[in-house]
Amino acid sequence: MSTLWQQLALFFSRRPRLTPAELQALFRDHYRSFQSLLTANNNALELMAEMEQALAAGRSFGMSFVRGHATALTVNVYKMVQQLIKLAGGRYHELQPAFTAISREIEQILGRERELPAGHYILAMDEIAKESVDQVGEKMANLGEVRNRLGLTTPDGFVITAAAVRHFLEANRLQAEINRRLRALDLDNLEQLYTVSAAIQKLISTATLPADLDAAITAAYRQLAANSGGEPLVALRSSALGEDSMNVSFAGQYRTQLNVAPEFLQETYREIVAGTYKSQAIIYREQRGFRHQDVSMCVGCLTMVRATISGVAYSRAPDDPRSPWVVIEAAPGLASQVVDGRAGSEVLQAGREAPWGILTRQSSPHTGTPTTSLTPEQAAEVARTAVRLEEHFGTPQDVEWSFDQDNTLVILQSRPIGQQHAVAGEPPPVAAAADSPLPAPLLAGGVTASRGVACGTVFKVRNSLDLLQFPKDAVLVIETPYPDWATILNRAAAVVSETGQVAAHLATVAREFGVPAIFGLGRASATLENGQLITVDATGRRVYDGRVEELLALAAPRPDLMADSPVYRLLQDALAHISPLHLTDPASPFFRPSACKTLHDITRFCHEKAVDEMFAFGERAGYANKAAKQLVVDAPSQWWVIDLDGGFREGFDPAARFVGIDDIVSVPMRAIWHGMTAVPWEGPPPVSLSGFGSIIFQSTRNPQLDPAVRSAMGGRNYFLISKNYCNLSVRLGYHFAMLEASLSELLTESYISFRFQGGAADEQRRHQRVRIMKTFLEQFDFRIEVKGDALTARLEKYPADFLMERLTVLGYLLIHTRQMDMVMGDPAAVERFMCKIHTEIEEIFNPEAKEESGGTHLPDTAG
Amino acid sequence: MEHTYRILLVDDEPDFLEMMTKRLGRRGFQSKTATTCAAGFTIVESGWPQLVVLDVMLPDQDGIECLKRIKGHNPRLPVVMLTGHASMQAGLKGMEYGANDYCLKPIELDELVEKLLIALREAGG
Repeated sequence: MSTLWQQLALFFSRRPRLTPAELQALFRDHYRSFQSLLTANNNALELMAEMEQALAAGRSFGMSFVRGHATALTVNVYKMVQQLIKLAGGRYHELQPAFTAISREIEQILGRERELPAGHYILAMDEIAKESVDQVGEKMANLGEVRNRLGLTTPDGFVITAAAVRHFLEANRLQAEINRRLRALDLDNLEQLYTVSAAIQKLISTATLPADLDAAITAAYRQLAANSGGEPLVALRSSALGEDSMNVSFAGQYRTQLNVAPEFLQETYREIVAGTYKSQAIIYREQRGFRHQDVSMCVGCLTMVRATISGVAYSRAPDDPRSPWVVIEAAPGLASQVVDGRAGSEVLQAGREAPWGILTRQSSPHTGTPTTSLTPEQAAEVARTAVRLEEHFGTPQDVEWSFDQDNTLVILQSRPIGQQHAVAGEPPPVAAAADSPLPAPLLAGGVTASRGVACGTVFKVRNSLDLLQFPKDAVLVIETPYPDWATILNRAAAVVSETGQVAAHLATVAREFGVPAIFGLGRASATLENGQLITVDATGRRVYDGRVEELLALAAPRPDLMADSPVYRLLQDALAHISPLHLTDPASPFFRPSACKTLHDITRFCHEKAVDEMFAFGERAGYANKAAKQLVVDAPSQWWVIDLDGGFREGFDPAARFVGIDDIVSVPMRAIWHGMTAVPWEGPPPVSLSGFGSIIFQSTRNPQLDPAVRSAMGGRNYFLISKNYCNLSVRLGYHFAMLEASLSELLTESYISFRFQGGAADEQRRHQRVRIMKTFLEQFDFRIEVKGDALTARLEKYPADFLMERLTVLGYLLIHTRQMDMVMGDPAAVERFMCKIHTEIEEIFNPEAKEESGGTHLPDTAG
Repeated sequence: MEHTYRILLVDDEPDFLEMMTKRLGRRGFQSKTATTCAAGFTIVESGWPQLVVLDVMLPDQDGIECLKRIKGHNPRLPVVMLTGHASMQAGLKGMEYGANDYCLKPIELDELVEKLLIALREAGG
């Protein structure tokens, strides 16, 4: 027994001594908690990363994504807190109130309701103007503006407001039920979407109207009838509220019902409200980041116009917002026939200034000659009014109009033209739009997998090794669009594939990211040279040599469908309580439960303390089997190893104080060690033999005696291992690094996590150091975050052999980073050094250079 | 994965149960199913299942109450909540009453299988 051992035994003598079997059992419990905690930690970090990526990538996500991720995340963090408290014998219970406070904040954000002004269930058209939008929806607010501010004729009527629809849904407790059904919805499953949509609509259309609302609608109609002398038929028009925040209207997607008799008013109203959940509407909201419950279906109830001739007017040509004429489409009868394209109709161009004369007139080729034509006076009045509406609203307008039997022009709707086209979203073919002649293409044909134009240098990818080399903003040239290659799409300027269809997964992702892609373009690989600069016109299905500026000028920016939508903002607000990390330094007095402000802080704290507990178990419990053993190595530094479970070979004496590298069978540790030792360290490079370099060299040789407590680790380097797990804490020079890896048959448990923070240099050098490491590690698929002089790199859910290769790279990097410090500040030296690193790493993986066993084969069991 | 595990699936949707039984069967899980908490609990009492997959919404009893009942009978029996109802509150309640995990539908089969295996291991299986 050593002196140290005796001291420890004395220290713990006040505790009841546990038998070896009891110790073993206690340790098993601890280890099981530790494993659960690691799995939960891994899940939590992955979920957080997915939430952050959702914000950054501009892809579509709905409330079910946000709520699902938030729920899964809190569940995992909760589990970490419980396991840590168990592991630490009841300590750290102060984490619980911190966790509860944070999760309440998040829950509150997710449950946030749109504030609707309480108010009347009914507003008469005479009372409505643009400011009424929160009560009556955009369509009816605009119509009120036209009526009351511009003094134009619009149909008489009233609006059943947002307050009314809320009252209707609340009285029947419908919103919670609707949300419940939508949450389980898989939007890629169209069949399911239709079923759920139909069920929700039925739920609404068969619900009972509250008596007061029912009576209010009847009373409003009675008033309307009294004013018009008779029992007029009415049109019920949807006017959705809550989708207007991004200036995108959902034209034509919601219902309008014409010629409704008074006895069917209430029933039709319920059907129009039910239309809120038409399947296209559900999909649309999900894609644009609207919450379903935020949409309030206001409904306009307007007398039918007995129209002689009706139509649509665009204050400027819809495909050219600068055109100096008004475009009018007209047909006999109701305006809706023109909108639907049913009746025989004509198209006119009229001047935008007095006398608003007809410039051209032609019958629609699709519908034949109309029976009634617009007179020049009528055309002039429509044109003049359209221009007036444009001036009032400030943008070109799309106007629905009718002339009634008294030849009065009645305006039914006025909305900005641009909105309609944002929804249609079909860009013109790019090649056709370029007005100057284009050079002859290198290649032409194939299918448009994703529209757009981009320019970049060719990079052919045939295997995953090529993939690792893929430079940012290059054009990905491939033979087959394998789904796995989607991982680099966000780095690619464009994709050209010799085979593949529009439906390929890679094509789908390309469209999502807005990366132009041509598939099925034969001989692409043979024709194009690596490094060649090309322009890809995916819309026109052509590839050109060099940069074709005429085409690139027409390229649309990559889409961000989500930015600033309500769901986007909600996720952003929730993430403020989730992802910022305040607890970065375990040695700081603020590294404690009460300082945890986010879920990320809690995970960081739990992980750190759990690892501490496992490190300290052997010493604390006086259990030699689980105490630190010194690794016998031929190197000027000391390494200590603690075996948690099956990390040492069978037959190794667990009470021994030293362990040889051949005694170690921990697969990840072997992979790291391989990287650390495959290329011998040559000492400081010649540029900086004195000063700084030797300080670092010295510090690694400085032996310290007490391996017992990790927090007193000074110049200590620890491996905490099991058969498939390794946690390495390294202090080399003044750098601190933590490398953790788990290799498992279960992808959920397969990951690498690497943290690096360095001192011993001025701030600029420390920042430069992590930037160099980031550039280097990015080539190996790591997800990397750099904050100041600290770097975090993670990989999750990859197979063991993939991870092992990367562990070897990290092992190499850990040892050779020290050399990086000596060359920093001299760009040429950095360049040479990076080249050297690349060569050496290639040599490690090159079979001819590998003569020793390496001992890296796949683990047999899942830990 | 040579092992066969005996699992009980409790969910109010018969279609879902049928599909899961088939798909989990191919991954070495032997399933019994129940569409109500009461029917599920009878199977739990028989001692047959090694793991329970439980929905939060059940026709006869709230899933969390059902979880309490199962855990009251056998605290060591691992339970994985699987639901289309993403609610932080229900999730945390479930964990508090001893659920091993709380998963959301739709879930990939591979992912679910891993979560079940982890739950079984956590329970010391």
